[in-house]
Amino acid sequence: MKGNDFAGKSRMKRNLFIASFIVPTLALYAVFAVYPMFKGIYLSLFDWSGGSESYNFIGLGNFKEMLHDDVLPKAIRNDYILVAGKVIGFMILSLFFAVALTRLNVKGSGFYRTVFFFPNVLSVVVVGVLWRYVYNPNVGFLNSFISLFTKQPFDYAWLGGKWSIFALLPPSIWAGIGFSVILLVAGIMSVPESLYESAHLDGATQWQQFWKVTLPLVWEQVQTSVIWIVVTTLNGSFVIVTIMTFEGGADNATQVMGSYLYFNAFKYGKFSYGSAIGVLILVLSLITTVALQRLMKRDAIELS
Amino acid sequence: MMRGVKNPFWRLFVNVSLVGWAICVIYPLVWTVLDSLKDNQQFLLGKPWDAPKLPLLWSNFSSVWMKYHFGSYFVNSFVVTAASTVLAVLLSAMTAYIIARFAFAGRGLLYYSYLMYLMIPTFLGIIPLFFLLNDFHLTNSLLGLVIVYTVAAVPFNVFVLVGFFRTLPGELQEAAAIDGASHYAVFFRVMLPLARPGLISVAIVTVLNIWNEYIFALVLVNDPAKYTIPVAVAVMQGEMQYRTEWGPLFAALLVSMGPVLVFYTLFQKRITGGLTAGAVKG
Repeated sequence: MKGNDFAGKSRMKRNLFIASFIVPTLALYAVFAVYPMFKGIYLSLFDWSGGSESYNFIGLGNFKEMLHDDVLPKAIRNDYILVAGKVIGFMILSLFFAVALTRLNVKGSGFYRTVFFFPNVLSVVVVGVLWRYVYNPNVGFLNSFISLFTKQPFDYAWLGGKWSIFALLPPSIWAGIGFSVILLVAGIMSVPESLYESAHLDGATQWQQFWKVTLPLVWEQVQTSVIWIVVTTLNGSFVIVTIMTFEGGADNATQVMGSYLYFNAFKYGKFSYGSAIGVLILVLSLITTVALQRLMKRDAIELS
Repeated sequence: MMRGVKNPFWRLFVNVSLVGWAICVIYPLVWTVLDSLKDNQQFLLGKPWDAPKLPLLWSNFSSVWMKYHFGSYFVNSFVVTAASTVLAVLLSAMTAYIIARFAFAGRGLLYYSYLMYLMIPTFLGIIPLFFLLNDFHLTNSLLGLVIVYTVAAVPFNVFVLVGFFRTLPGELQEAAAIDGASHYAVFFRVMLPLARPGLISVAIVTVLNIWNEYIFALVLVNDPAKYTIPVAVAVMQGEMQYRTEWGPLFAALLVSMGPVLVFYTLFQKRITGGLTAGAVKG
């Protein structure tokens, strides 16, 4: 009897302890993170412009409105230009750098790793301001440099043209590549040296070793980097776009979904339409990550 | 000789590429410093790579600190970052410890509900979050930002710390419990000190993320007295579409970058380690 009582008491103490450690955090998380997300999905089904008086359920009306929206396709296209450009740029450069810093015996490998990662810890706001200056037509770095080789001063407005979304790729790659380099370096370093030794004994060149040993064995890190690029781009392209081209460039040339959501909601008060764009960002980012995971699926290589 | 390239052309190519990229990274930081000491004349007439003329315009920094109020933005950013980081690390350590060390119904659900957040775009919830904070009178408030940042940092930290607590030896926890220590004492006196390396790693990543955060700060704060540094830099640049003061703008960039630069030099290994934790197995 007494022992039972003791066990019951200690069980209750244990449960109380567990609850006291997880419930406050969970409550905050539920209110300030989970609830807004579900509310965002809910709001996307209404016609609501901020006040409490006009709160009309319109079902998929906002999504139908999207079909007649001229700017939205541009915003989606721009997001995917950034995603595709970043995936290609990141992967080529960071695989090259990661291999160079691990397999090619270059001097100063630790120094390069430290330097290459540095832009990753800068605020995207800082990156945007710096690169806006690089691109400045009159006093900027790029045009001043080109002008050294031209007779007339070169004054092309990199951020003012129809295709200026492409001008946002170099800053994005500059700012983010360090992360995938570090990830791939860690992946390559965990490949057992013996595999390279036997590849070498079989007469494989560095190039063949890369394709036959390195790439298959770091494929998991490649996948992680690609998914990370997709998620952070669709979610975060807003910052680089609004810092470098303010309201989305000339004729929405650099508008992305995040910035379009922001301007609809907080500038024009179209909160429910903005929420619908939020749902669109969610759906597209889920579809894209799942599709890419399928596409990049390879048989996992088990090292025995 | 498994490593290294023999072909001298490739050797040169690899080395030139590495040096080239290193210059691409370092050089903009160098001219940020140089340009923060110039006046407008030097921007308009000179080249961006010119060294600043003497006397150096240190007054750009005092102008940014006083006239552009970066002194108070710095304090805002500092307060918000410090408070959110302490809270986020403590709360996520508590949750992660329970998930890693105690079996109970709903444990998996709890863990995955935090992981889910990492896959969902912030923008989905940003409009309702604004109205929610508005109802609580927490917009235009540093407290509001602290709450939002704390909550946003918890999921990633829980993810990393669960992995960390799992690697700690269980015997100490059991021994302390047998000695009659309460669950709380075991956590605060035994487990938390053991988990210090993990806590420091997530704290550093949290500090950087919050110091640099822009989207929440932009949406949730409109009162210039409550700006954090990223918002202040963005606003300053926005105003300069009409009246450019380049020197102070670069000085403002340095105010924003300075603490990050110091932090990075001190904790470089832990930062790269903390960010890639969990992404690399074995």
